Amino acid sequence: MAIQAAPEQVQVATKPLLHVQGLTMSYGAGDSENKILNDLNLEVNDGEFVSIVGPSGVGKTTLLRCLSGLVQPRSGTVSVGGEIINGPHRDLAVVFQDYSRSLLPWMTTLENVAFPLQGRGVGKKERNETAEKNLAAVGLAGQGHKYPWEMSGGMQQRVAIARALAYNAKVLLMDEPFASVDAQTRFDLEDLVIDLQSSLGVTIILVTHDIDEALYLADKVIVLAEKPATVVDVIETGFGDHRDQVDTKADPRFVEARARILHRLRDH
Amino acid sequence: MKTSTKSLDWGLTTQRLLAVAALLAIWQVVIWSGTLPSMTPGVAALASSIGAALTSATFWSALAQTMTAAVSGWLIAVAAGTVLGLLIGSVRALDRSTSILIDFGRSFPVLALMPVVIMLLGATAKMETVVVALSCLWPVLVQTIYGARRMDSAVVDTVRIFQIPALLRFRRVLLPSATPFIATGIRISASIAILVAVGVEVLSQTPGIGRQITLAQQDQRWDSAFAYLFFAGLVGWSIASLLNFAEGRILKWNRQTND
Ligand SMILES: Nc1ncnc2c1ncn2[C@@H]1O[C@H](COP(=O)(O)OP(=O)(O)OP(=O)(O)O)[C@@H](O)[C@H]1O
Ligand SMILES: [Mg+2]
Repeated sequence: MAIQAAPEQVQVATKPLLHVQGLTMSYGAGDSENKILNDLNLEVNDGEFVSIVGPSGVGKTTLLRCLSGLVQPRSGTVSVGGEIINGPHRDLAVVFQDYSRSLLPWMTTLENVAFPLQGRGVGKKERNETAEKNLAAVGLAGQGHKYPWEMSGGMQQRVAIARALAYNAKVLLMDEPFASVDAQTRFDLEDLVIDLQSSLGVTIILVTHDIDEALYLADKVIVLAEKPATVVDVIETGFGDHRDQVDTKADPRFVEARARILHRLRDH
Repeated sequence: MKTSTKSLDWGLTTQRLLAVAALLAIWQVVIWSGTLPSMTPGVAALASSIGAALTSATFWSALAQTMTAAVSGWLIAVAAGTVLGLLIGSVRALDRSTSILIDFGRSFPVLALMPVVIMLLGATAKMETVVVALSCLWPVLVQTIYGARRMDSAVVDTVRIFQIPALLRFRRVLLPSATPFIATGIRISASIAILVAVGVEVLSQTPGIGRQITLAQQDQRWDSAFAYLFFAGLVGWSIASLLNFAEGRILKWNRQTND
C-alpha cells in the first residue's frame, strides 16, 4: 500500500488547484432548454491569475456561478484541491458583478468585511482586526465606520474585495469587478488587484468582456466564444510580476495577443 | 443639509401655520354663510370647548381609556404579527400553505367580528383591545411576510457564498432587510388602532373618547363632540409623526439606499 501511495503524492503536487472537466450548463428543460456552456475544460494553478474573456452574454457569469458552487452544472465537474465542488466551498470567495447590491447596507463597512468571519465563529475582536487589516490592504484604512452608501462605487468595490480577502479563501472569483467604474478608478483597481495577488499569493479567476483588462491582469487568458460557449483559446501572457498601465499595454506581446483574441472572437 | 433637518425651518413653519389659519377662516365663513346646519359650532365655540375639555377630568379619563385599549391592542398585534410574519415569510413551505388564509384574513372586515367578541367578553375594555389587536394584526403580518420573503438575489448569493449559518443569517440579514416593511406595517396599524378604538367605542358604548362623542351628540352638545373629534385626530397624528421620526432614525440606511 505504502509503495502505491508515493507516486500518487507526486501527482497531487503537480495537479492544478482548480480543475474543470467537461462542464456543461443549460437553463430550462425540454423544448425550452437553452444550452449556455458546452464541454468546458480549464485548469488553474495555485497562485495563478487567470482571466476569462468573452463577449457580453456568452455565459461568463453562468460559468462563475458553476465554479463557485452557486449552481450545479448539468454535467461535468469542478474541483478545488482535488475536492469536487457541489455547493459553496470554504476555499472559494466571490466578488460579484453587482457589488453595490452585495454589500449589506445596514452594516458598516467594517461589519460587512467581518461578516463572513462572524459566520465562521471568529470572535469579535479578532474578526474586526482582520477586517481592519484587509480594509487597509485595499486602501481604505480607517474607513470602517462608514456605511457602503456613504462611499463611491470604486470604494464599494474595494470593500467587496476586502471582504473576499478577509474570508481567506484559496481562490478568488471575480465577475466583471470593474465594469461599472470610471476609467481612472478602473486602472487603480486593476493595479490594486495585481499587487494584492502578488503579495498574498492568492489564486484569482477574473471574468471580463474587456480584452485589454484580461491581458493586463492575467498570467493566462482563457477565451470563451460561440453559443453554447466553449474555450476557443488559451494564451499565456508572460508579462511577469511588474505591470504598468502604459508600458505593458504597449508591449509588442500585448499588442499581438490582443490581435489574436480579436481574431478568435471574430472567427466564432 | 444636515443643519436644516435639525434646526426648525421657520419659513416652512410659518407656511404651515398659515394653512391651518386659512382652513379655520374658511370654516368660519362657511358657518356665517349658513350652509351648514345651525348647530355646527363656529371657530370660537370650538376653541372654548377644546379648552374646556382640557380642564375636565372626564376628558382625560376618556382619553386614557381609549389610548390604553388602542396602544395595548396595537402592541399585541405588532408582537404577534412580527413573529408570525417572520416565521411564515422565511419558511417557504409555511408561506405557500398559509397564503390563502392570509389573503382571506386581510380582506376580512374585522369590525364585523365586534358583535361576536362583545358576546364573549361584553362591552369592555378587554373586548375593545381584542378588536383593535385583530384589526392591527393584518397590516403588520402582511408587511412582515412580504419583507421576510423578498431578499435581494445578490444578498442571497453573498450569504450562500460565505456560508453564513442560519441563525446569523436570520439575525443579521433577513431581519434587517425586512425591517423597512415591518416599520410600514407598524405605522399603518398605529393609525388603524386609534380609528378602530374610537369606532368600537362609538358603536358599543365602551368608555372612551368614542363614547363621549356619542354622549355629546345625544345631548346636542355639538361643540364638545367636535372637540373630542379634534383630539381623536390629534392623537392619531401625533403617533404617526412619532413613528415617522423613529423610523427615520433607526432606518437611516434605508432612506439613503432608496434615494
Ligand atoms: N437564471 C437564468 N435563467 C435563464 N437564462 C439565463 C439565466 N441567467 C442567464 N441566462 C442566459 O444565459 C446567457 C448567459 O448569461 P450570463 O449572464 O452568464 O452572460 P455573461 O457573459 O455574464 O453576460 P454579461 O457580460 O452581460 O454579464 C444569456 O443568454 C442569459 O439570457
Ligand atoms: Mg455577467
